[in-house]
Amino acid sequence: MELTGSILVLTGAFFLFSAGLGLLRMPDTFTRIQAGTKASTLGNILVLAGLGFYHPDWALKLLVVAYFVLMTNPLSSHALSRAAHAIRTPMAPSTMVDALREEGDRQGNGDVS
Amino acid sequence: MLELLVILICGSILVSGVLAVWLDNLMAAMVSAGLASLFAAVSYVLLAAPDVAMAEAAIGSGLSTLIFLYAIRRTGGGRE
Amino acid sequence: MKAASSLLAVLLFGAVFAGIVGGYGERESVSALAEQYLAMVPRELGAPNVVTGILITYRGFDTLGEVAVLFMVAAGVGVLLGGKDTTTASEPGREPRRPSELVGNGAEITLPLIFLFGAYVIKNGHLSAGGGFQGGAVVASGTMLLMLALPATKLNHGFLGVTESLAGVVYVGIGILGLVFAAGFLDSHILPLGEFGTLISAGAIPVISALLGVKVGAELSVIIDRFRN
Repeated sequence: MELTGSILVLTGAFFLFSAGLGLLRMPDTFTRIQAGTKASTLGNILVLAGLGFYHPDWALKLLVVAYFVLMTNPLSSHALSRAAHAIRTPMAPSTMVDALREEGDRQGNGDVS
Repeated sequence: MLELLVILICGSILVSGVLAVWLDNLMAAMVSAGLASLFAAVSYVLLAAPDVAMAEAAIGSGLSTLIFLYAIRRTGGGRE
Repeated sequence: MKAASSLLAVLLFGAVFAGIVGGYGERESVSALAEQYLAMVPRELGAPNVVTGILITYRGFDTLGEVAVLFMVAAGVGVLLGGKDTTTASEPGREPRRPSELVGNGAEITLPLIFLFGAYVIKNGHLSAGGGFQGGAVVASGTMLLMLALPATKLNHGFLGVTESLAGVVYVGIGILGLVFAAGFLDSHILPLGEFGTLISAGAIPVISALLGVKVGAELSVIIDRFRN
């Protein structure tokens, strides 16, 4: 039981570490936001699950916290990257396609983002 | 271990407070001030005062940051 | 000259704080006053959470003063920023961006959770960490999310004003009831103590806590909304 919890917490810590690494190593704002959010959401939930194995009586509260993380973390990063896109933050030179801007051009207005 | 953590977080409060004064960009300074509040809330939790931490997290890092945001927007977006 | 004097001030502050930090030793036991409170609050007030017990009963007058200060702040902000409706005129030639659908929907999902948490914190103030003030702040931050994510929402200031005024009046009324039926102003013994550690216990503390929560939440929401438009 405790071993499973420890392994889960350790895996979560690894993902959180990779989120931090992604924040440092990725080339531009959007990829950084993406790396940070995805890995840290997974890492957070794994750590919470591990804690649930340690303290089974906290399960309900941890579930609520996990739900909250799952709801807010992707949304906040979406809002951040939308704002960054709106002020035309430069993208990495290897970016091939900007779907959001093309969508805006198709609707006639340059800035629907 | 706990002492080390508390010292680390107090150092973070100091750094973000200094940043809030130092930064020229008002938005960044605002976020930095909110961050200082958030670290303070975490340190309150570590020092076993969850009641105060809750109020600090909600008011200090949430509401006052938002009020700064609206004030900056009303006074011209932080541009000189 | 200016730089030298500020440097001197910083150095003096540094010396003072160094003395404080150097003389800091971790307390091994609670002080006599804290010990007395720790024994007295569960026994006399029936509240496991000592902090809320002290705040609402022994220091009830302080809390009333705090709420009065908050009320004055809300009134002052209303006088300064209220009045004419200055709908934020967007700069010409630049349409304001549409609010994001994703953020709006997400806020609609998380908002009930936040308000529920606020109510939980308010109602369990006498059992676990929390209380009226903290819960009110949580509720107000929910309002903050509402305003950020769904900018088209309008708050009903009249309703909020009436609600918080009523809460304040009932709060003071309970204080006067304490003066009549119990030992003094804001004494919580006007209601039976009940069973220790249950939701409905600890005399009037949960009632006062709920009133405080409503009042603080409404006041802070009004303050934010005044700043918004």
